Amino acid sequence: MLVPTLLLLAAFLVIPAIYVGWLSFNSSTYGQATNFVGLTNYAQLFSDPIFWRAFWNTFLIVNGIVYAELFLGLGLAVLLSPPLPGKALIIAVILAPYAITESSGIVMWRYMFEPDVGMVSHLLSSLGLGQLDWSTNPVETLLLASTIAIWHHLPFTFLILYSALTTVPREVLEASEIDGATRWQQFTLIVLRLILPAVLLAVLFRYIFAIRTFAEIWLLTEGGPARLSEVLAIYLYREMFKYHQFGMAAATGCFMLVMSIVIALPYLQRMYREVRRNA
Amino acid sequence: MRKRSIAERATRWALIVLALGWSSVPILLVVLSSFKEPSQIFEVPPRLFFRPTLENYQLLWDTRPEFFRALANSAIVTLGATFLTVLASTLAGYVYARYRNALLSASAFGMLAARMLPPIIVTVPLFPILNALRMNDTHVLLVLLYAAFYVSLGTWIMRTFVAQLPIELEEAAAVDGAWLPTILWRIVFPLVVPGIIAVSIFVVVFAWNEYVFAMIFTTRNARTAPVVIGEMLGTVEGVQWGVIFAAATVQLVPVLALVIALQRYLVAGLTVGAVKQ
Repeated sequence: MLVPTLLLLAAFLVIPAIYVGWLSFNSSTYGQATNFVGLTNYAQLFSDPIFWRAFWNTFLIVNGIVYAELFLGLGLAVLLSPPLPGKALIIAVILAPYAITESSGIVMWRYMFEPDVGMVSHLLSSLGLGQLDWSTNPVETLLLASTIAIWHHLPFTFLILYSALTTVPREVLEASEIDGATRWQQFTLIVLRLILPAVLLAVLFRYIFAIRTFAEIWLLTEGGPARLSEVLAIYLYREMFKYHQFGMAAATGCFMLVMSIVIALPYLQRMYREVRRNA
Repeated sequence: MRKRSIAERATRWALIVLALGWSSVPILLVVLSSFKEPSQIFEVPPRLFFRPTLENYQLLWDTRPEFFRALANSAIVTLGATFLTVLASTLAGYVYARYRNALLSASAFGMLAARMLPPIIVTVPLFPILNALRMNDTHVLLVLLYAAFYVSLGTWIMRTFVAQLPIELEEAAAVDGAWLPTILWRIVFPLVVPGIIAVSIFVVVFAWNEYVFAMIFTTRNARTAPVVIGEMLGTVEGVQWGVIFAAATVQLVPVLALVIALQRYLVAGLTVGAVKQ
């Protein structure tokens, strides 16, 4: 009964991932036999300034996205934790962006931020702030792309933190109140500690998923101008599907995989212990 | 609990309204503007009350027939992926809930670790191979890919739901001579329907909206709606915003309605699938 699941995982995840590892030590393209080149791909990768630009861009937006979401998600979870009228409806609206496809999300945000004509662009320039120059300034491209990514994924972060908050026992809070704790002390000393595992989990999952960021930037500028707003996923895509350098793409992929695993290590360790304990 | 002052309540509601606006305004603007005439779309200040027109939808129908084909493709792929994922993860979840040994634990761990793999990486080896097998641009390929990326979460959710069932029911049926497929079909399946719904929502939302795989692995026959919307945006000089808004609205309504209607299953699935791991 495990066969269908394991077959799917083996065929589309595990074997390809192993093959990518092997491919990263080879030079390969269409109509040419793959030949072993050792670490040449990695040497070439690490000496490419565009790769490092993509790496730092990824580093920047991943951290920006994760911590902004954590801050906003936690705030929202606290905001919605007491009993409120119409709460189910409020949560439904908060979850809405989760149901929107990435390309439509870009449509929505571009509509507001389109240079000169978008309503937010208008608003910003009429306030004398100037517009967000996302189509030509790479930093502002990344800023808008991160904002859209946060908009898309905040529901996920919020839900994890909100479910964790609902498990904090009321008695603990009441007891601390009697002991004279201020609300801020209650939150930092008690609530935050109790939900810490959920906070770490949300952060970890968002790290893993934010490293994959592709569509937000691809559909805004395709990583331009002059490849300055590329992230690692776009760098890989270009090597693979524009330049057909399979070995280079594989090396980029391995680099991303190692990044993900390093970040996920504490979580995987905990999982491993838990799975062993259940055995 | 301590009394909340009026000022505090007002602040709370002000912030809630802000959060509601953040989530819904981008969606509402596009849905609303899909019913505006092209000349009104970028009007400043934006008009909230206007005479709605179906002009953009008519244009979408007349000039972009590929969008509706793509929508049908999305539906086929979504149904296929959901069916396959639910089937595979219910069976696997049952095994993980009812049997224990070292090999099973190892495979469970491997399954969770596989979730760390960035999907774009597997396109590197898969694309040339699938091309050679002539599997690119087929519905089956997307169904298999989407299922492969969601069976681990699905299995984990189903495992938790099966584990909550009292095993005595199955034992009693086994004593009466029922064999495993009967027990699964008649006893286990009906009792884990909430789990099946939770898994289905995750897969439906993912498969209906997925962009990267669909963009890379399809060209014409199996092109899905999110990719076509992306392409419409790509032809940006003289972009027909109204037509894109109509397409985006048509694409988002079914899944948004589903998420809102079934949100409690989503919360249950996420709690089981993520927090309790």
